[in-house]
Amino acid sequence: MLGDVLLITEKHENAAKEIVPYILKNKKDKFIIAISGESGSGKTELAHVIAKMLRKANIICKPIHIDNYYRILPLLRTEWRKKHGIQQSVGLSEYDWDTINKNIEDFRQNRVSTMPCVDLVTEQVDQLTTDFNGVDMIIIDGLYAINTPRVDLSIFIELTYHETKKAQIVRGKEPQNEYRMQVLEQEHQIVLTLRPKADLLINKEYQVVEA
Amino acid sequence: MLNDILLLNKKHENAAQTIYERVQDELTDKYIISISGEVETGKAEVAHMLGRLLRKEGIRVKLLHMDNYYKIAPLERTAWRKRHGIESVGYNEYDWEVINRNLKGFKEGKLTTIPCVDLFTGQIDQLTTNFEGIKVLIIEGLYSVKIEEANLKVFIESTYHDTLEEQKLSGKEELDDFRMQVLEREHKVVQSLKPLADFYLDFDTASEIFHY
Repeated sequence: MLGDVLLITEKHENAAKEIVPYILKNKKDKFIIAISGESGSGKTELAHVIAKMLRKANIICKPIHIDNYYRILPLLRTEWRKKHGIQQSVGLSEYDWDTINKNIEDFRQNRVSTMPCVDLVTEQVDQLTTDFNGVDMIIIDGLYAINTPRVDLSIFIELTYHETKKAQIVRGKEPQNEYRMQVLEQEHQIVLTLRPKADLLINKEYQVVEA
Repeated sequence: MLNDILLLNKKHENAAQTIYERVQDELTDKYIISISGEVETGKAEVAHMLGRLLRKEGIRVKLLHMDNYYKIAPLERTAWRKRHGIESVGYNEYDWEVINRNLKGFKEGKLTTIPCVDLFTGQIDQLTTNFEGIKVLIIEGLYSVKIEEANLKVFIESTYHDTLEEQKLSGKEELDDFRMQVLEREHKVVQSLKPLADFYLDFDTASEIFHY
């Protein structure tokens, strides 16, 4: 995403320090890591720190943000969700899984790939063309990232949106109101159903635990 | 750029506010604001906060980062500079043809392809964006003051000596001997371009200080 603000802290670094050796031990060609967790739980921050540490170990790892793949553009999404009802619309089907899966296949096949890239300043979706040839790993982060088929390492962050409220206000990505709370509750319910897929859990103290 | 980290704080917000107050009454369509200054002086941070501010005011704005326009990709640059000598460091390292093409795309409100460096892969991706309806362009970079068609040329008054702490924190480049030579050279070039600016920002007071 363009114009995203990450608030990276020691807890992300410490968690990454546990996770990276695990990745190095289990790595294979075209390795796919996925991180799921609720809004504000630090998915993108963790993905960033892991990718940075992997680079120091000479592994080229590209972060992919599932938030770039919403079918409905940011500016129209609130209206669309209100129109269709939060319970009915919020969830997995909001994402363009066809494109997500295509881009992941491009990665596996070392191809040049075009991916959506949301610019948070213009609130438009740009297109990003990248060459996956030479990219060793991808790290996919998003609410429902571990729902992606054929992920090699699934990480689940257990923090809920209640605990992450402060982080969400600080980063100022979304307005905090009644409607937002309803969306967060719905997302929370769906994210929870993905927990069983996890290989590694990050608990409320941000410690890494095997699932 | 992809996977860049911005360390934002109140002074960047204040600087953005100061710039906004300067331009708010003269924002014609397709307005270009350039932000120049030495390394890690907060150009990208100020650009980001200014973008946020304009967006809050309902103005459609896009940011361009000149670090995306180097002719030589990041991983090859140090070797290239060592081969060509320290005098090769400077605004000729930018691909001005692409910069001008992108500026034209903005002015004409067209679909435009912009280079976009991924700091993790070291590769230069291509970003295709639609400039239709985008009213303001903020372009930040060491030598962005050289863009003649910018309506407001902002210059941040700090030197790389002041920003050594920020540079260590950002961890973008190793601060070895050669890097110090590069910084000194960039400092000379940036300072030589300073007279081209029309608006000078000093972070001590976050208010405009007129040069002479």
